[in-house]
Amino acid sequence: MISDRIRTTTREVRRSARWHAVFVCLIVATTCVPDAGASSLEGAAERYRRYLADDIGRTLAGARALRERMEAHDLDGAKGAWIEARIGWERSEVFTSGFVPELDQEIDAWPNAQRGFHAIEAKLFGADRTDSHEETEALIAHLTNLHAMVQDIPLQPQRLLNGIARLAFEIGGNKADGGESRLSGTSLGDMQSNVDGIELAYRIIFSDAVEAAAPELAEAARAAIQDLKATVQVPALRDIDSEKLRAKSEELVAILQSAAASLGLQRPTLEEATPQ
Amino acid sequence: MNVRLKLAVAALALVLAMPLQYSSSFPLGGNETVLPPGTELNEDALARPREVFRSEFVGGRKSYLVNLGDVAFNSPTILGGAARKAGVSCGTCHVNGASNPKLFIPGMSTRPGNFDTTGLTFSPKAFNSLLDSVRIPSLRGARHLAPYGHDGRFASLRDFIRNAIVNEFAGPEPAPAILDALVTYVQDIDFLRNPRLGPGGRLAPSYASEAELRGEALFFKPFRHQPTLSCATCHVPTGVFVDYLQHDVGSGGFFKTPTLLNANFNRPYFHDGRYDSYDQVVEHFDGLFDLGLAATDKQELVAYLTAVGDGERPYERDGVMLRMKEINDFASVLELAIPAGDAAIVSLVVRTVGTELRELAERFPDHRNNAVAGGQLERRAARMALKDLVMMFRNIELAVSAGRFDDAAAQLQKINERAFVEVPALLKKAEPWSLFNSEVHDAHYGALQQMFGSANRRPQ
Repeated sequence: MISDRIRTTTREVRRSARWHAVFVCLIVATTCVPDAGASSLEGAAERYRRYLADDIGRTLAGARALRERMEAHDLDGAKGAWIEARIGWERSEVFTSGFVPELDQEIDAWPNAQRGFHAIEAKLFGADRTDSHEETEALIAHLTNLHAMVQDIPLQPQRLLNGIARLAFEIGGNKADGGESRLSGTSLGDMQSNVDGIELAYRIIFSDAVEAAAPELAEAARAAIQDLKATVQVPALRDIDSEKLRAKSEELVAILQSAAASLGLQRPTLEEATPQ
Repeated sequence: MNVRLKLAVAALALVLAMPLQYSSSFPLGGNETVLPPGTELNEDALARPREVFRSEFVGGRKSYLVNLGDVAFNSPTILGGAARKAGVSCGTCHVNGASNPKLFIPGMSTRPGNFDTTGLTFSPKAFNSLLDSVRIPSLRGARHLAPYGHDGRFASLRDFIRNAIVNEFAGPEPAPAILDALVTYVQDIDFLRNPRLGPGGRLAPSYASEAELRGEALFFKPFRHQPTLSCATCHVPTGVFVDYLQHDVGSGGFFKTPTLLNANFNRPYFHDGRYDSYDQVVEHFDGLFDLGLAATDKQELVAYLTAVGDGERPYERDGVMLRMKEINDFASVLELAIPAGDAAIVSLVVRTVGTELRELAERFPDHRNNAVAGGQLERRAARMALKDLVMMFRNIELAVSAGRFDDAAAQLQKINERAFVEVPALLKKAEPWSLFNSEVHDAHYGALQQMFGSANRRPQ
């Protein structure tokens, strides 16, 4: 499962490298145009949409596989499908918690696990039961809804930067108690997917614009993201150096907060400013 | 491996034998925790022991050293190994400088409130292959209670603290400045005032009942078979009810005389925490010295011990004002550390305060937590204010590490402008929907319990 994730990430790195080259050319071509930063960012946010939709689509496919495996009373298969579905979900958290909090609450409620992923986790991993039919149907319905929404929901760069900063901050929280997915034992995977999601969104949407406006911050951001990735690349959750993780998480947030002004954006907030 | 296995089996047996009353608060669960599943650190308790500082009690203020010591005391980063990873600090066991009668770590505790300081979990260096847990003592009045350790093996508080950090909790050698501060902090933790005691450690007659006064007389009465001894021989009332010696009282060796002051809040009793109540303690001594106490004598002695062991307002309700006061006290260390260019102390403060602020932010449930309805705006504002403070503190550390001391001082000024009035006001507004509210607290932890409970409901 982890090697699958690494392979997937590698593919995306290659794919995005091509976009990266294109985007650098665009930046160079448009730096003299007034308000070019904002419009480039909007274009980049549009390009991010495809990746976001892929991740939500992957989550939806995982949830459908989960339903199928549960109907077949295949406990191990169902567990595998649940874990697979979580990868895309955690990668898209830069978007979900700020843009669609109501769906986030339905899909990823915690800790009151009456619904969503963690309700299924409690039965599937906590009690080895494959009878979460109702919860899984609801999960699929919400993910289907979300998948449709991400095709055309406005993706404002400011809110995406907020989402990246917020998630970067959240990763620094102490998981010594086992984290959120402690029954499935996949809290570490959640964090690794979170960092992948941060890297993806930053690279597709902001990296080149920061490079053009403030090269030293671009370098610092790249290094901070790599540091964060390295800090969560450990064999088990308990091996994480929580102090280092928190420092790296906050250093990345500080860099993103500094970079915002050079992009013509507001300093990213660590909570979505407008409640739903 | 064998020893580990034995410990694991022993721990499991102990967990299974645990009375239900001990599992009332929220234990760690799942299989990815740093500390063993079933660990109870009692960190979600809403009542916290009240901490009284000598410097404040006599009308002064806590010094830089006291505050720095308090920071270090509550910082897992001065420890090493599992403690550091699990976020365990001195303050985890000695909550607000008192004890933690609910703390239980499988494999390290034989009952709630005790802990094996020579167990394998925290420091292989100290591991002695025995499950010899000792009770977690309160540190109130510690400056009067030398020698240190349950068996009095350390004459110096400084040596005791260093040993705990380096040998028992696998921490790095602490800087002399940090040790100075820890000693000063511990020495400033006072006993809770007990108005029931007058000069000479005698019961104040205006407060004392007949039973308590008869208990006091029994306390001074020579033992019938050893007339040179009485309870007061070792628990000397003119002092702090100790004689600074170690005695064999039939509990397996020589252990130092514990103080009776504030002892009502220091359960369990004896060096290993074997007794839950004064009744059991009195029963023990009645048997050991063949005192021939009648049932009423025992009750009167217990009444006397309860009067001596009392203290004013032993607990206080946890809440945002208490937390922010502690955070601001910790942050006050930066007033001297930044101009001094002391990067190590700045880092220690930033990390400890950051952890406290993050933990405080977690007390305000986010939108995914349906244990609480309402107050979403307020909760969000509270979380945002706390996260902003975390970043402001981090920026201080980044500025100091880059040699930009003026920037760091300016940032601290901005923090002070917010952290004394504005942020506490925002938190206070959100408090009714926070985990400081009993109903929200119970719903939240009840949901967690339910989730972990599911692990025990596997199909047959």
